[in-house]
Amino acid sequence: MTAAFPGAVDCAGKPTRDFTYVPSRRRRLTEYEAVTCFTQPDIEAYDQQGWLLRDATGRTPWMRESTALVHPNWFAFRDPASHWQRTYVRMQAEQERGIARSAEDAAAHGVFDEFDPVWVREILGRHYRAWSYAEYGLFRAFAVAQREALSDTLGNVLCFEAFDRMRHAQAIVLHLLELEDHIPGFVDDGAKDVWLRDPRYQRTRQLVEELLACNDWGELAVVTNLIFDPILTEISMSQLVRRFGPFHGDPVTAHLVGTSERDRRRNLAWTQEFVRMVTGAEVPARASNKAIIEGWVASWTPRVDEAAKALADLYEVPPLQVARFDDVLDKTLRAQSSLVTELGLKVEVML
Amino acid sequence: MRNLIKAHDRVKDFDWEHSYAEKPDRYPTKYKIPRKTKDPFRHLIRDYVSMEQEKDDRQYGAMEDALARSNSAGKAEPRWMEILKIAIPTVNFGEYAAMKCCGQLIDTVDNAELRQGYMAQMLDEVRHTNQEIYLNRYFAKHAADPEGFHIGLKARGINLFGVAGRAALEAFFVGDPVEGALNLQVVAETAYTNPIFVTLTEVAAANGDNVTPSVFLSIQSDEARHMANGYSTLAAVVSNEDNLKYLQDDFDRAFWRQHAFLDPFLGTVYDYFQKNRGNSYLEKWTEWIAEDWVGSYISKMEPYGLAVPEWFYLAQEQMKWKHHTAAMLAAASWPIHFWRWDPLTEADFEWFENKYPGWYKLYGAFWENFARTTQAADGVNPLAAFEALPPLCQVCQMPCIMPRLDCNEVRFRSHAGRTLPFCSDPCEKIFFDEPIRYEQSVNFWQQHDGLGIHEYIVNNGLLRADGKTLISQPSLDSDRMWTIDDVAAWGMEIKDPMRAITAQLAAVGGSTNGSAQ
Repeated sequence: MTAAFPGAVDCAGKPTRDFTYVPSRRRRLTEYEAVTCFTQPDIEAYDQQGWLLRDATGRTPWMRESTALVHPNWFAFRDPASHWQRTYVRMQAEQERGIARSAEDAAAHGVFDEFDPVWVREILGRHYRAWSYAEYGLFRAFAVAQREALSDTLGNVLCFEAFDRMRHAQAIVLHLLELEDHIPGFVDDGAKDVWLRDPRYQRTRQLVEELLACNDWGELAVVTNLIFDPILTEISMSQLVRRFGPFHGDPVTAHLVGTSERDRRRNLAWTQEFVRMVTGAEVPARASNKAIIEGWVASWTPRVDEAAKALADLYEVPPLQVARFDDVLDKTLRAQSSLVTELGLKVEVML
Repeated sequence: MRNLIKAHDRVKDFDWEHSYAEKPDRYPTKYKIPRKTKDPFRHLIRDYVSMEQEKDDRQYGAMEDALARSNSAGKAEPRWMEILKIAIPTVNFGEYAAMKCCGQLIDTVDNAELRQGYMAQMLDEVRHTNQEIYLNRYFAKHAADPEGFHIGLKARGINLFGVAGRAALEAFFVGDPVEGALNLQVVAETAYTNPIFVTLTEVAAANGDNVTPSVFLSIQSDEARHMANGYSTLAAVVSNEDNLKYLQDDFDRAFWRQHAFLDPFLGTVYDYFQKNRGNSYLEKWTEWIAEDWVGSYISKMEPYGLAVPEWFYLAQEQMKWKHHTAAMLAAASWPIHFWRWDPLTEADFEWFENKYPGWYKLYGAFWENFARTTQAADGVNPLAAFEALPPLCQVCQMPCIMPRLDCNEVRFRSHAGRTLPFCSDPCEKIFFDEPIRYEQSVNFWQQHDGLGIHEYIVNNGLLRADGKTLISQPSLDSDRMWTIDDVAAWGMEIKDPMRAITAQLAAVGGSTNGSAQ
């Protein structure tokens, strides 16, 4: 067919008509792999001439030491969700449209009038809004992680997670603006002060600041997605805001938290894949990688647990006791512990 | 939700003073940026994702529907399509590097307004990275000659000019983050994305390729926001007088680093691969860079203490010839590349002479000869005409033959016991201001020194599906294409020219500059 056109070449074998330089995990090269792989230069593979610029201290564009973990080929990582920008943006646009529609429907049907006033003032106005700062802090941490990650496939999942976090933070702000529009007397103010001064949040704030100070992108991913979210975000958002909301006349916020849970599942899945990759049987440094990750888990889990426990009395604030904090914490810790052990990690966490 | 102003204010009030752990100074900057400035990006994520999804749907929808069914890629002028094999992957690293630049800016620039803009740009850059590689793959599937497209990013990594591109584009994110923003947002995006994403689409469309414009114009619709980021960053920098003592030097360096690669590269793409001819690269450069960027954008900054880049006028003077010289070397070294050349014709000569008076006298003989030596059966080695391979600049990695072979500005300087080549006064100055940043770079000749050209081609997979025909060809003729045996018969090795030059210089006692070749 091509021979019909000027310049067509039909005398040098049958061309493959697809990229031949990307090793696919599937039978055929996926769209995700095609548009992602080797967009970051790999000086071990196709860019062996090495780096062409250093900074004033002599550091190269990327550095192996940017994580304590060691892997012979970071470019082998694949996102289990196979997201590239188009699929990622489409998914988030759908989620954001869902949120906007849910608020619109709630307004049209007077659902906001059914919100419990204590719920609105204390949980949404103070607790939920204070959480937007935690999400923002994580956005900043992941923006750095995507910069430093040692391959394109890793850089992209970290970049998408950074964007997720900012989406969550903004969605909270916009949701409270809706409440201001529809709930007489409600004003979104004072939550920053809660975040900065309320003793309940200081452990969480400390964790976020420590994650922002963390220079190891592998550690940031493992701690955030295997410990922080499964324990603290679960306790703070899912079990309190999402679970209690409908009992206080609020099905709207639960939907919003649901969209961030979708992001959390995706981020957990790629982090599990990441841990399996660095501890895989064929990886020479698997034992030390495993020990490093176990060290992270042992060091961060008690701190995350403490931050969660500091929120305990929040569960007493909503008028209806939908769940007891101790029960929720117990179940959450057991679920998180299973996530860790399912990855073959042995950790004795002193809680 | 009724109050958008409140929404914008609140999403920019997320920062707080840390009390428990100090954020490390990961990407130190010498610049002081005010905490609050004008907001370059008044979009909420909710609006942003919806807007980008719509643009994606339009662009990818067109590619898979009307453009595929009309076989736009297959019917485009083959001359034009060939240069996209290197152009797309090379530009692509700029997008990827830009994403990294934004990560650094988010971490370093303590200003909520600017940070919102950087956040959206970070995701835009993932978009552009993906869009361009999608385009590259699309051409691997649909172009009349897909060979070369199918190894795009791999081939970029091992190509002499692909590497020079990376040298320029690494400046987006290696070093002071604000210097990175000057390279990326103020120079590359504000000055050069118009010639890349706007004017190149005119050439593409005139040459039957309607696919590239679909992608590039969609990219350019994001670039307007990035230019706003650049302007706001620059405005924030000049608002503090203490910054001015660094700014001009960094700006001068950023301009030269981008010019040294982008202009010879884009000029070659633009002028040497049009079949249906329109404007010249110089005309477009004058319109977009000299008149628009310098004349209108930079001049607006002059009252605040930022002047036109020191080396702009040198660049302007050299613009008439630089890319012709680069194109000549690229054509002469055709076997090591991964695209085909279409020898220039009488009509092309006339166009060049008309657009660049004096061109024929300087370059006509080369191209006349090139057209006569394309037959594989004749087996003429185009590189044999050169006494030695030209040295590659230690800073920009481009051949030290600019602006013209007969009046090149190559100079050799001693540094830490080595003799290093530089293409120009600016690159030499840039090097000696901060040698640590460039002294360890290995150039293409050093990397492949001692390898037969045919070995380089085989080792790097630059052969067609039959395993013997070269991807690169000196013509579009497909009757008797050049094979690896034809090149092996030359018995030519890649030799780092600096060994001989260093010995020569040692014999005459010292370093030199000027037309030393």
